[in-house]
Amino acid sequence: MYQTFVGLEIHIHLNTATKVFCGCKAHFGDEPNTNVCPVCMGYPGVLPVLNQHALELAYTVSLALGCQLSHRTLFDRKNYFYPDMPKNYQITQFHEPVGQNGSIEFALADGTTKKVRIHDVHLEEDAGKMIHAGDMTLVDYNRAGYSLLEVVTEPDLASGEETEAFLQAFQRVVRYLGVSDGNMEEGSMKCDTNVSINKAGAGLGTKVEIKNLNSSRFVKKAIEHEQKRQAAVLEAGNKVSQETRLWNENRDVTETMRTKEGGLDYRYFPEPDLPPFVPDASFLKRIQDAQVELPLARKQRLVREFGLSREQADFVTDARFTADFFEQAVRASAASGGSAMANWLMGDVQKELNHFNLTLEACPLTAGRLASLQSLLDAGRIHTKIAKQLLVSIFEEDKDPETLLQEKGLESIATEQQLAPIVESVFSAHPNVVAAVKAGDARQKGFLVGQVMKATGGRAAPDLVNALLAKFLA
Amino acid sequence: MDTKELETTALLAQIELGKGDLARLGEAVSQMLDNFRKMNELDTEGLEATTHALVTDNRVRPDSPVPSDLADALVERSPELEDRFIVIPNVL
Ligand SMILES: [Zn+2]
Repeated sequence: MYQTFVGLEIHIHLNTATKVFCGCKAHFGDEPNTNVCPVCMGYPGVLPVLNQHALELAYTVSLALGCQLSHRTLFDRKNYFYPDMPKNYQITQFHEPVGQNGSIEFALADGTTKKVRIHDVHLEEDAGKMIHAGDMTLVDYNRAGYSLLEVVTEPDLASGEETEAFLQAFQRVVRYLGVSDGNMEEGSMKCDTNVSINKAGAGLGTKVEIKNLNSSRFVKKAIEHEQKRQAAVLEAGNKVSQETRLWNENRDVTETMRTKEGGLDYRYFPEPDLPPFVPDASFLKRIQDAQVELPLARKQRLVREFGLSREQADFVTDARFTADFFEQAVRASAASGGSAMANWLMGDVQKELNHFNLTLEACPLTAGRLASLQSLLDAGRIHTKIAKQLLVSIFEEDKDPETLLQEKGLESIATEQQLAPIVESVFSAHPNVVAAVKAGDARQKGFLVGQVMKATGGRAAPDLVNALLAKFLA
Repeated sequence: MDTKELETTALLAQIELGKGDLARLGEAVSQMLDNFRKMNELDTEGLEATTHALVTDNRVRPDSPVPSDLADALVERSPELEDRFIVIPNVL
């Protein structure tokens, strides 16, 4: 059988306010060619100057991925002629990238983890955008010069499914670090995928590069297509040719990309316009301070510390904000454990967020409010049904649970003293039903429970209602 | 440097060379390469490469926008525009 080797070249747009080598705004959606200047338009005689924040973010990612950090990082020119790059070269890093030899551990679908080695992390500039329209092409250089971080993995992934899980894990990492929104659909994360297959044990096969993949699902599909295509080539006794292929999302296949004439020799050489960058102690301190507990570590800790199930932990740690919210809420609620809180977030809270079309970041529910809602439950002052009602009220009225409880008079009727007279009046209003139940017709007991609930506006504690009915019917 | 190598180099640099240019430049480039070969003979073991002379400190800038007042002028220099896009022949 064949073995598959997948390596990725992941590009992310860094969250910087300006481009990487000039002061132009790095902003999506502006009118074409408004955020441009002589530097990013490639005019002669201009001098690029490094954006310090872009370097900080690049080092932050490198450290988080366990890379060796460069003590003296250098930039290189990669020469190629294409209208999206007006200088006729891209400034990138080749000889001395920001970080090298790291790794990322991520969780597979079965709950086990896998480590993928990182070859290097380097900082470079993005190209402009071209729109092909019939016999002409429209070019917009607003994106030319955006700070782009490329993370290159070793060919350690073994299937489409594994690669999809890896990409989602990688996306969570950059979002946790706050360095990029990592959105593939919107183009702030892109991924070129190298796939080779070979007879098991025979090492790497011939590498085929696939481009034009703008979602992790397409990456999975493209790898699976390549596995079949390359296997068929080998079965027929032919050799897989080393080439770049494009993913065609309408036909679910990869297609040979027209190779540029003259082959690909980028003639890298050190960028003479940019001096080396040597991180000093205060720079490195900022990089240290920017580190966060990574999603996988956090997930494992939440399972350990709060006894969450894997499904709960996956949900809670998918976004850093949710994980923070969860931990704050658990710590603020007096009695309850993490499982109850995770269930709130996965169930009713998510339902209300969907219903009101809101995000957890921008909604009336805070960690403190969820904690006090749970504390009311734990103290027996409300029961579950009322708690769910209060949650909706929080979304509708933007008030604390305690306030809403007072205003709406929803506190549980949870003492025998309060509830006994109500049960008595229900009994005297329905003597026939009481007689039937006493005679052995247990089915009609539900009717009596319903009448008590109706009389109390749903506030009677269900356990107490059952206990009192049993007592009165005895 | 043989002619074939020179032609490839010219192609990569997108430079069009005539027959006369090839002969003349072939000789000049060979001369340059000889000079580099000579420099390569020096023992540089243990020395850090000098990529930039006269640079002692990091040269960076803060991440705050400094919009260029030349944007309009640069765009207007393009031979053809459509809704501020620069129009070029189809290259796909
Ligand atoms: Zn610019």
